[in-house]
Order: sequence, then C-alpha cells, then structure tokens
Amino acid sequence: MIFENIYEIIAFILNSAGILQYMQSYSDALGISIAPKLIIILIETALLLVGVALMVMALTWMERKVLAHAQARLGPMITWYHGLLQPVIDGVKLLSKEDLMPKRADRWIYFIAPMIAFVPALLVFIPIPFGRDGAIISDLPMGILYVMAVSAISPIGILIGGWASDNKYSLLGALRAVAQDISYEIPMVLTVIGIVLITGSLSLQDIVLFQDKIWFVFLQPLGFIIFLVAAVAEMARIPFDLHESESEFVAGFFTEYSGMKFAFFFLAEYAHLFSIAAIMTTLYFGGWHGPMIPMIPPIITSIGWFTLKVLVIIFFTMWLRATVPRVRVDQILDIGWKVMIPLALFNVFITGLLVAGGVL
Amino acid sequence: MDSVDKDKVTVIDATKIDTSKYKREVKREDDAASQLKSTGLLNTLVYAKDRAEKRDQNVILALVDQVVNWGRLCSIWPVTSGLACCAIEMMSMSMGHYDIARFGSEVFRATPRQSDLLFVAGTVSKRMAPRLKRLYEQMPEPKWVIAVGSCAISGGPFVDSYAVLTGVDKIIPVDIYVPGCPPRPEAWLYSMIQLRKLIKEEGVGITWGLDK
Amino acid sequence: MLTFVGVAFVFIALFLSRVVRPSAPSDVKSEIYECGEVTIGDTKFYHNLQYYMYAIAFLIFDVEMAFMYPWAVHFRNLGFIAFVEMFIFVGILVIGLIYLVKKEALKWTQ
Repeated sequence: MIFENIYEIIAFILNSAGILQYMQSYSDALGISIAPKLIIILIETALLLVGVALMVMALTWMERKVLAHAQARLGPMITWYHGLLQPVIDGVKLLSKEDLMPKRADRWIYFIAPMIAFVPALLVFIPIPFGRDGAIISDLPMGILYVMAVSAISPIGILIGGWASDNKYSLLGALRAVAQDISYEIPMVLTVIGIVLITGSLSLQDIVLFQDKIWFVFLQPLGFIIFLVAAVAEMARIPFDLHESESEFVAGFFTEYSGMKFAFFFLAEYAHLFSIAAIMTTLYFGGWHGPMIPMIPPIITSIGWFTLKVLVIIFFTMWLRATVPRVRVDQILDIGWKVMIPLALFNVFITGLLVAGGVL
Repeated sequence: MDSVDKDKVTVIDATKIDTSKYKREVKREDDAASQLKSTGLLNTLVYAKDRAEKRDQNVILALVDQVVNWGRLCSIWPVTSGLACCAIEMMSMSMGHYDIARFGSEVFRATPRQSDLLFVAGTVSKRMAPRLKRLYEQMPEPKWVIAVGSCAISGGPFVDSYAVLTGVDKIIPVDIYVPGCPPRPEAWLYSMIQLRKLIKEEGVGITWGLDK
Repeated sequence: MLTFVGVAFVFIALFLSRVVRPSAPSDVKSEIYECGEVTIGDTKFYHNLQYYMYAIAFLIFDVEMAFMYPWAVHFRNLGFIAFVEMFIFVGILVIGLIYLVKKEALKWTQ
C-alpha cells in the first residue's frame, strides 16, 4: 500500500476497522458530512502534538544526562530508572508553581508571548517527512520556504515577551536574542538555496528522494558547515546562547516568567531544537534513507532511521555545550555578518556554476 | 622503661583478637540511602491514605496532593546566589563526586521567579540583608530556605561585628540549618535529604484553586 | 488546525495550572526582579541604535533571498544567462554589504 500522507493512513486504518463507515453514515444522518474528516485531522494533530511533546521530554532528560556524564557526574538518578521520569516531575512541579505577573507588565501581551513562541515550533513539523510511504502530515510544494517562514515567527514571541515583562534585563536580552536570530537567519536560508539549485524543487519530500544515492553533506560540504553553525545559533545552544545569557542578563528574555508560562518557553526552546535538527537531517543527511531491515514494515524502519539521525545531531549540540565556552555578543554578530553571509553567497555561487556547467 | 622486666612482657598477636564484639550495630533505617528510598513515588502514593485519615481529607485529593508533593521534592531548583565563602562549597556540591544532580536539583536558575530553594550561603552583612529579603520575597510560592554555615545561622565569628546580621532567621523564615564553617558538601547533601523529608511530611501540598 | 490544537493545548495547561497552583501575591513580589535592588526609572528607555541598523540590513538581505528562491527553482530551465543576471544583482548587494562594513554600521560598539 502506498499512501500520500498520515491522513490517508489514519483513514485506511479506520476504514479497515469499520469505524469510518459508521461515522460517515452517522454524520450524514445529522447533516454534517465534514465531521469524519475533521475527526481524522484532529487525530492527526493530536498524534503530532503527543509525538513532539514526548520527544521534547526525552530531550530535556537527555540534555541533563549528557551534560552530567560529560562532567563525570551521574545526573538525575532517584526518579525511576536513571531518572527517566525527571521531565514528568519537572512538569508537575512547574504546574503547581505560583504564576507571577509583574505589576507594571503589559498583561495581554505578557500572557500571549509563550503561545507565540510555542505554536510555531509545532507548526514547523507539518511538511517534514518522518518516514517513507507517507509518514508526513502534508507534502507542501513550498515545503522548505514554509519551514523557514514559520520558524521566523518565534523571535516575535521572544521580543514581545521581553517587552511585556517590563524588566530592563528582559528587554535587553530579548533585543539581543532577536538580533542574533535575524543575523543567522540569512546564512541559513542562503545555504538552503544551494540545495534548491540542485534539486529544483522546494518540497522536502522531493529533496529527501533526491538523496537516494548520495547525501547532500557530500555534495555541499561548505554549505553544510555554514548551515550547522547557523543552526546552532538558531537553536540558541551554548556557543551562541544569547537567549538565556545567564552571565549578563539574569535569565535573558524570560527573567520575569514563572510557573507554566516559563514551562512553555522551555518547551518551545526544545521543540525548536528538535525541529531544526529534523530540518538538518532532511536537508543534509538523507532524511529517512537508510538500510531497510526485512520483516519490519519499511515505514517503521524509516522513521527509526530518521529519529536516530536527529538524535545524533542533538547529541552533537549537547556535546558542544559541554565543551565550548560562550561567544560574546559583538563577536556573534560579527561572525554572522562578516564571515557567514559572504561564505554562504560564495557557496551559492559555486553551486550555481557547477549546476550551470552540468556537473551536478 | 628500664625497670620493666622484659621477660614478663607478653607480646599480643593482633590477628588473634576477636573483633566481632566491638562491631557496632548500624540501624539501616536511619542512613541516607533508605531515607531516599522512602521518598519514591510508590511510597508517596501509599502514604496518601494514611495522610487522608490523619487530616480528615478526601482520599483522591490527598492522592493528588501527594503526587504534587512528590513532584516538588524531586525537582528543587535553587537560586544562583552565594554570599560568601560557603558558596564555594556549594559549587563543589554540584560538581562531580558529590553531585546534587542526583536529586534533580542541579538546575541553578539565575532568577528567583523560576526557583524553589534559597541557599543562604555565608555572612549576611547589614547592607546585604534588604537585598536578600527582597530576593526571598520575589520567589514564587512553594519556596524553602536553607541557612548554611555558622555565619548565616548566628553570625558565627562575626557575632560581635557592627556590620553583620546575627542570623538570617531575623529577616526570613528558615527551614533547615546546616552548621559548619564552612559545612562540608556531605552536610549540604544531608540538608537536601532532610528538606525532601520535610516537603514530603508537610501538609501544605497544594492550596486548592477551587476551594478558595 | 494544528494552530488551534496548539493554542488549545496551551490554554488547557494554563487552566490546569490555575487550578493546582497556590497564589499568594504581595506588593514586593509583583515588582520587577533586578537582582534585589529597587528599580530606578522607567523600563522604556532609549536603546542602542545598533539594533535598528541590524534590522534594516536584515530586511535588505531577506528580500534578496525571497528573490533568489524562484530563481533557484527554475534554474535548470533558465540556463547560464540567469546565473550571470542573478550574480550581477548579488554583486551589487555585496558591494552594499562591503559599504556597510566600511562605514562601521555593523560594528557593535560605536
């Protein structure tokens, strides 16, 4: 069976279980024939939400464990087996923590900022192919452009969060974080043009299918290095962590946030980490390609390969955090504008020359 | 020494002494490891019925109460704040060999808005006292204080000084005192374990939004 | 659709937290945290002009990238002439970038 996307897979499963016909006849009798479609979409989005939430929880646990073992510590140990329940516990604690609102804060914006930071981090996952045979929410023809556009929304959440909390540290931290985000947005998107030149398509599914024989890491080594540095900066990981600059601005833009609102900024940060690692896997490491194991359905194997590659990239960034010191703010922006952008343009130039010459 | 008759001295063979009668019986319940185990999830849930009877509370509510308490006691995030030399021991406590991260408390938050525990580590001078009080008051509600070192407890060696507060409990409520100058990291860890016990035992749990 | 579910998720979590959490506001607590000091003055102070310069430069290059995407998609059909044309355009922008750097517009401390 070949499916286009997850919608069809769910519809097929419901159909073979005999639920879909029942639902259809019932909703036809009520006069709302769109109801089964809506229910399937709801199931789909719930699946994505749960998947991302589980992944994010696993990432927080992994971060603490990797950092601990890099420093010859043990990390969380007492909550179940090697502290596996630690993210759940943190969630319970933050849920039952008092939620403060500063007196002079801009109430409505203060409330809406975590949402603006959190929801785009979820929306990014729509056009990313998780596996073969249709493990994708929707194969948008504008895939990569959509991803870049949506992930550019979350700096707005950061900025208004910092502005609304009416704290000098938050405001300065937010301004710096946004300056970093927009500076590294440019080289990141410019390197993607190199890939689009070769594939001639913006759809992420097409880009993955193109890497059947050779991954783009080997075709675009310079582009990969630029993308890696820009991605680490976009994720706000340690060499470029202006977002949570603990040594300068108490805790960056979420200094005033506590309880559940802080938890959503936290979740958004890790969801962003996951999403950029997923984009990097899709663009440079062949997405779900990998040796298929017989006896297991290829859709499961390919999702497994995808997850493995994403986890390796995330492990790399955590390793980086345990190894490298921070970069100062002016150095970050200098690297972004004076090194990365010319290099990215050079990469586009070389790729264009090779494609026009018929080499690639 | 010369007057001792050398023939009468008996050489004692150390290997032949029966040492078993000198061994002390160690009570297993009192050591740190078993206290840690008693704060696990299962134990906490079992304890819920007991508490419900004791406090004349609904069992379901007591259960939720226990789960929330369990969440709190396993992820206590301290504020990054040190007043004097005791803070050096705080660093050593969070590094390898002692590793506060085993209790899920290695997340030192720089802002009081996201933290649960305030270590008053060191001498509280009268200049610093208002700032410390403000820092404590700006922490959100479930919050605990551990006073570490003799200076924070009573003024310590500076008790006669005109510039030092004699004990931090004059300005903020303290849950646990850890004596020492400075206390060793083991003592800090023991105070963490005691704090976990305190959170488990304390009846505060959650103030119900629906009850208010 | 996912947007709605995401927003609904945030709302549900915030409501749950509202049920469970304690609440004890006080005057000092709802003031701004500035390392234990009492806040002086207004937060809406004058900022460094530098952020504005970066924003303008970002806008220029972002629009440039928006031009480059359709060009990249149809590059194989257009042939070598499109390559030359695009890099005349990019060359002008690079001259602009060099000008910005020479004018020290992208320098952090003025």
